[in-house]
Amino acid sequence: MLDQALESLKIYEWGVDPKAVKSIQDAVVASHGDAAARKKLESTLADVLSTDVPRAAKDIVCRALKTIGTAHSVPALAKLLHDEELSHMARHALQTNDAPEAVKALVGAIDKASKKIKIGIISSLGARGTGVPVAPLAKTLTDKDAEISTAGALALGAIGSTDAAKALGSAKVNDTNRIAVCDAMLHCAENMLAHGKKADAKAIYGTVLKIGPTKAAKIAADLGVKASA
Amino acid sequence: MKTTRRKFLSSSGAATAALGFPSIIPSSALGNADRPAPSNRIVMGGIGIGNMGRGDHGAFLGKNDVQYVAICDVRKGAMNQGKAKTDAKYGNKDCKAHDDYRELLSRDDIDAVHIATPDHWHAQIIIEACRHGKDVFCQKPESLTLGEGSLMVETAKRYGRVVSGGSQRVLQDYKGTVLRCWNGSYGKVKSINVNVGPMSKPCNLPSENVPDDMNWEMWLGPAPWAPYNSKRCSGSFSTSGNSWRSYIDYSGGGMTDWGAHHFGGATFAVDVRELQPNEVILDEIDGKKFVSLRYPNGIEITHNKPGVGQMHVGKGEGQRKGKEVPKYAGSGGITGDFIDCVKTRAKPFRHIEYAINTMAVPHLTVAAYKLNRSLKWDAAKQEFIGDAEANRLRNRARREPWQI
Repeated sequence: MLDQALESLKIYEWGVDPKAVKSIQDAVVASHGDAAARKKLESTLADVLSTDVPRAAKDIVCRALKTIGTAHSVPALAKLLHDEELSHMARHALQTNDAPEAVKALVGAIDKASKKIKIGIISSLGARGTGVPVAPLAKTLTDKDAEISTAGALALGAIGSTDAAKALGSAKVNDTNRIAVCDAMLHCAENMLAHGKKADAKAIYGTVLKIGPTKAAKIAADLGVKASA
Repeated sequence: MKTTRRKFLSSSGAATAALGFPSIIPSSALGNADRPAPSNRIVMGGIGIGNMGRGDHGAFLGKNDVQYVAICDVRKGAMNQGKAKTDAKYGNKDCKAHDDYRELLSRDDIDAVHIATPDHWHAQIIIEACRHGKDVFCQKPESLTLGEGSLMVETAKRYGRVVSGGSQRVLQDYKGTVLRCWNGSYGKVKSINVNVGPMSKPCNLPSENVPDDMNWEMWLGPAPWAPYNSKRCSGSFSTSGNSWRSYIDYSGGGMTDWGAHHFGGATFAVDVRELQPNEVILDEIDGKKFVSLRYPNGIEITHNKPGVGQMHVGKGEGQRKGKEVPKYAGSGGITGDFIDCVKTRAKPFRHIEYAINTMAVPHLTVAAYKLNRSLKWDAAKQEFIGDAEANRLRNRARREPWQI
């Protein structure tokens, strides 16, 4: 059944009944706890990504690798990160892949990515939250394109660490990224509060109030100052 | 100086005053016995004006204490109809039509928005609305994934926003069961069963020509790219393949669509709206799989337990002291509840935290069925315990450039 489904991928265009490839998802579930079967399945699926199967087929493969992907499938997915059509589905698989190699691949793809794809990669790094280096995201805060610095700010907020807060504190704030920078700093401050670091949180709220927050962010920072008293 | 509702909600009153008053002031502008003065009305806009959005639009438009000023939809037809309906109500041409919700949210004159887009947009728009200082009423199911839920709750709290979910059925459809649970007639309640489905499925519908009035890129938004197909984006209530409610990228299927109502009723009846389950047990009776969700207080919600009826309550031992059943604030059902809470800053009946706790039930249930195993859930950390693979199901990458 799995072999048939893998064969079906070669002609899996939009419009083909998804039942043709259902066995791939079944194999994902059935191989849980069987390391050898998983490795083989991951390897087979990763190989499909370098072939000329239709986009819909690669979409299916990325969805399966989201569940079972390890460091082994990272190189095949990383090659898709600059592909306008497939970058998102590659991130779909990489964003939740626990391997540090997945982070390395995402970080390594930032610089050469087009604007839209760069925003996507930055957002996936932020969504991972932990195990992501702050420096590459801090660098995006200085990008001349305010949409990229906005993405960088939100990602740093999602990470929420002391280093992330420090980077955000020195961000150049403009009308385009103001909401994101404020939100990210508020996010970091909440993280400090959750870890009992009231003084650190209060300092971040103070910075938000100094940088000219939006009305909504000012209300939030005022609430935060009270919470960190 | 008397504080108006608008001043209470925002400090934009000074800017309005600077513009000056017209020399002739219509009676409606000062308010009358039937209608509050504009400064005491909640200024609203609507995002997503299809099936459910049309109903919500009508409900809010019909409220005397609401001034409806903006409509947004990615389908020009729906957008123009919404504007026409609003303008007809007020006898002017003032309602602004937007095809991008970001324009609407950036308006300083809007206090609150209602959202009735497909589910894959809910988290994005709720979170951005809160960042813009708007209060929000959002149709159920409020979240598409577990991860979105906690982000929505955090953001609403961060900005001190009133955010209400939109299941009108929770309070209306299960009154008898709820009353007997709350007044103590059942004694201590042990469990409740919900029968609902199906789960959403993958979509691979063929490509069709995009209609002239549809902004397809905006309809897809953060969801994976796919070609236009009328069934893929139909707002009909089908969960069997004829609407977006059938498909994984946009919905949890009947499990979350009707599940938001039924699980909402169940969590309300057995009074666990403030909690999330910590165990999700995949079980089987006579070859039929079902899920039991156990709460830290020992209460159990079962899903599709063979031989057990819809909303059947399992009675435990001992007495329960009766409590008054919570009800909507204000008048006018769940939308009236929202408006009243916008004014008082109280928690609405389907406060976003309750809504997300409710939505965790079908999301956790689906995870157990999909992975074909029982799971343990740490509600405080919002993660599955000892199951890295299950944790991967909590979030999905958003298609560029969408980010929350």
